Amino acid sequence: MEFDGTFSLSDVTTEEVWLALSDPVMVRNALPGCQFLVEVDDPDDVDFDALSEAAEDGEDPPTLPEADPEDVAERALEEGGHYAALVQVGVGSVKPRFETVVTIDRKEFPEMDASGYGSASDSSFEMDSGMTLVETDDGVDVEWWTEADVFGRVAQMGQRVINPVANRVVGRFFKQIQSQLSDVGEESSGLRDRIEGLI
Amino acid sequence: MGAESDSEPRSGVQAIDPDDVDAADILGSAIERREDPALLTGDAEYTDDIEMRGMVHMAIKRSQHAHARIDGIDTSEAEAMDDVVDVFTADDLDVPGNLPTGWLLDTLEQVDHPILAGERVRYQGDALAVVVAEERYVAHDAVDRIDVDYDRLDAVTDPADALDDDAPVVHDDAGDNTAFDWEIGDAEKTDAAFDDADHVVSLDLENQLLIPNAMEPRAAVAEYNPSNEELAVHMTSQNPHLHRLLMSGVIDHPEHKLRVRAPDVGGGFGSKIHHYADEALAALAAKRVERPVKWVATRTETYLTDAQGRGHDTTAEMALSDAGDILGFRVDTAANLGAYLSTFAPAVPTYLYGTLLSGQYDIPAIHCSVTGAFTNVPPVDAYRGAGRPEASFVVERMVDLAADEVGMDPAEFRRHNFVGEFPYQTEVAVEYDSGDYEKTLDRSLDLLDYDEFREKQAAAREEGRYIGVGFSAYIEACGLAPSELAGQLGAQAGLWESGLVRFHPSGKVTAYCGTSGHGQGHDTTYAQIVANELGVDYEDVEVVEGDTDEIPQGMGTYGSRSAAVGGSALVKSSQKLVEKAKRIAAHQLEAAPEDVEFEDGDVRVAGAPDRSMHITEIAQAAYLAHDMPDDMEPGLEATSFYDPDNFVFPFGVHAAVVEVDPDTGEIEIDRYVAVDDVGNQINPKIVEGQIHGGVAQGIGQALYEGAEYDDNGQLVTGSMQDYTVPKAEHIPEMETDSTCTPSPVNPLGVKGVGEAGTIAAPQAVVNAVCDALEPFDVDHIDMPLKSEKVWRAANAATDGGEN
Repeated sequence: MEFDGTFSLSDVTTEEVWLALSDPVMVRNALPGCQFLVEVDDPDDVDFDALSEAAEDGEDPPTLPEADPEDVAERALEEGGHYAALVQVGVGSVKPRFETVVTIDRKEFPEMDASGYGSASDSSFEMDSGMTLVETDDGVDVEWWTEADVFGRVAQMGQRVINPVANRVVGRFFKQIQSQLSDVGEESSGLRDRIEGLI
Repeated sequence: MGAESDSEPRSGVQAIDPDDVDAADILGSAIERREDPALLTGDAEYTDDIEMRGMVHMAIKRSQHAHARIDGIDTSEAEAMDDVVDVFTADDLDVPGNLPTGWLLDTLEQVDHPILAGERVRYQGDALAVVVAEERYVAHDAVDRIDVDYDRLDAVTDPADALDDDAPVVHDDAGDNTAFDWEIGDAEKTDAAFDDADHVVSLDLENQLLIPNAMEPRAAVAEYNPSNEELAVHMTSQNPHLHRLLMSGVIDHPEHKLRVRAPDVGGGFGSKIHHYADEALAALAAKRVERPVKWVATRTETYLTDAQGRGHDTTAEMALSDAGDILGFRVDTAANLGAYLSTFAPAVPTYLYGTLLSGQYDIPAIHCSVTGAFTNVPPVDAYRGAGRPEASFVVERMVDLAADEVGMDPAEFRRHNFVGEFPYQTEVAVEYDSGDYEKTLDRSLDLLDYDEFREKQAAAREEGRYIGVGFSAYIEACGLAPSELAGQLGAQAGLWESGLVRFHPSGKVTAYCGTSGHGQGHDTTYAQIVANELGVDYEDVEVVEGDTDEIPQGMGTYGSRSAAVGGSALVKSSQKLVEKAKRIAAHQLEAAPEDVEFEDGDVRVAGAPDRSMHITEIAQAAYLAHDMPDDMEPGLEATSFYDPDNFVFPFGVHAAVVEVDPDTGEIEIDRYVAVDDVGNQINPKIVEGQIHGGVAQGIGQALYEGAEYDDNGQLVTGSMQDYTVPKAEHIPEMETDSTCTPSPVNPLGVKGVGEAGTIAAPQAVVNAVCDALEPFDVDHIDMPLKSEKVWRAANAATDGGEN
């Protein structure tokens, strides 16, 4: 299955969006049904139960605009890095919990490519995705695409069910990013300039 | 509804109350079905209605991948759940557990078909593990907690793609994915016919995979008594004896201690013939836990695992003379067999397909080659029509193209090439028993007001409206026989049928037949047959089917065989009873056996009408046995194993009238006319119902249905929301009529009607759509004729092909 789209964010700079979308904490917060998103060493040997417990007990660090941009840059997704996530998503009549591992294959401002797979009890997926940030007159367009192979019960529902789910998830994700970033430009602390300097 | 017509289409058969018909007239009367009150009120007993003390529930972990190596199955979480009674995988099995195929071909590559996949799964839905739990929901929840470590492999789902050199290999034993190579007819003679031809037409077509969609999903309840090793499996079966025979080998349980019983079964359409893994797993589970086990497939499971039908990629060529004679016919087919060989799978695209390629036509040279292909879809097997719809579709699409090529009207081209003399030996091994093909064609032309329709069509085109008519002059073969021939062709079973007719001392009758009805109305039609033969009240005849503990032996219900073979067995047994009754009566009436006559249930002494006994009195006398002829045993019952001499060949013409909107691709069926000749009709109302149902399914194939898989072999039409089973609004009113050419090969003169509709309907609709779109140079559109496909075809010349 192929999905793609462009999401327009207003009153933001390319650098702010880049930093936000590189922030695993921001991504986790913005992604509906995502319990955690953490870096792992070995993508083939992930103890999701342990990570899940740790996430329940863990702190919830601040994100932009409250967070210090240096801290955010410090924890940013890295090219070649592997990240484990637990994502629960309602598809039609089922609500699979996908144990997901994502690898950042390429990260060169303003472009990022990732690949990964996720498995639930009766469904799974494999995906390649990417995004490019394009500056516009009043903000930034995030051009994104995903090629996914879906298996099992979710696949049986076909694109009729999956497309709206994908659109809903992506839409909610970017709306959340937009609302987080809308405050960045209004910060008086020169946050915008500091972020410019980081990238 | 359609055009006004001078000839009155029949409004349908009126059902009659059986009380208004006596035994002499009961055969052939359209009496109401006696099974309907129970089915309509909920008194019927389907498998899922069975409840037993201590019963537990089974659910099956199925592969989410179409093709994968299994690196491990972790069942620990499932086993730890409360109320889970048992969990087992292939590693826990100590039985052969290999599902056999019941039809062999010379070149057949027999591959293992394990009831639980251990190392490799080959289709999405392949069974991996079994959970038995106190509650159905717990069993399903536990299945979700089984963790399978898959190593996914590339998949292939299309038969032609599977035969490519670089295709993923489904079975290492069949490295090129070829299950068999098969041919029929005379290749040299056919080549010569093409060399001499004035015209050749050719076509590449696909006959898409279909999902059967019986109303009731497959189900089983298994009970086991460890003290005496009696094992009973109540299951959705079209052929309990066959299931018993095969299952006894699969689970290594002695056949005489295995009972298979089909309670009320909610439709089968072929999908309940085959021996699947699931029912055997239920039986094994019952033996393991020593409690009754129930398994009921979810609708989603039936979509993944019920044997699908059709699945052909075909290239066909027809050689023609200027005069419009068909000189030769060449067909090359890649047939999808799915991941494993299902029970009758090898027969369906070979002997049930190639042998029908002469259609209703006198074709002097035919050659057909079929390559069976393993793919990563569920096993493909018989689905209503089984090979014969595929054959009829190829023949009737080609005949339309041929008529167009030589500039003849499609109806006249058919008439010009019809077989005229019967019996007729085709070039593809079978001999047609009887027929009168012009009769059904003429009747359909009459109902259509054909000449007037063509005028209307021309006028409509002037206005930019596109209407069309499509003919389907179909032939079907049912009651596959004799057994010796079936054996020569590779059947691992006989195709006879048993019938036991038993008088009780009170004069009531029970008829036992080895067929196993599942919606066909055998309780009604068999009682009509037996009541008529014995001259007793229809209400006094009870029919029993579908239980290996009650029926001597049996082959089951499929291939429209029940009336022709099972009904005939009951006739033979009834005749034996009458003979015995005559001898008893002659003895008691003190007449010579040759001096008594049997009529309307009475045995009379010739010339002395007051000296007679009714057969019910004779039955009582036979069981009292106080006064019997010498050397005659008491009792009045008889069993017959009837093995017919030949197939029977129903035929007919169906015609669809459609309007197509080239701007949207939408199709409206204005009229559907069906004229069928199924020989003598035991019950015209039931015949009409069979035609209606078959046509509805055939229209489903033509316009709506199709199992679709993505590149990974994932079924993307995996529910009723994605796979269009036609609803009432999708099916037109049907105008049905029939002619009657009795079959000479069985005592009833019947031919079979169960599959006529699915065999006839698809090409009637496709031919009509292509006729409507003739101004747009549309030769062919593959089924299902979804609006987008039709729009593209109609607009190919401008932009439909590309944009």
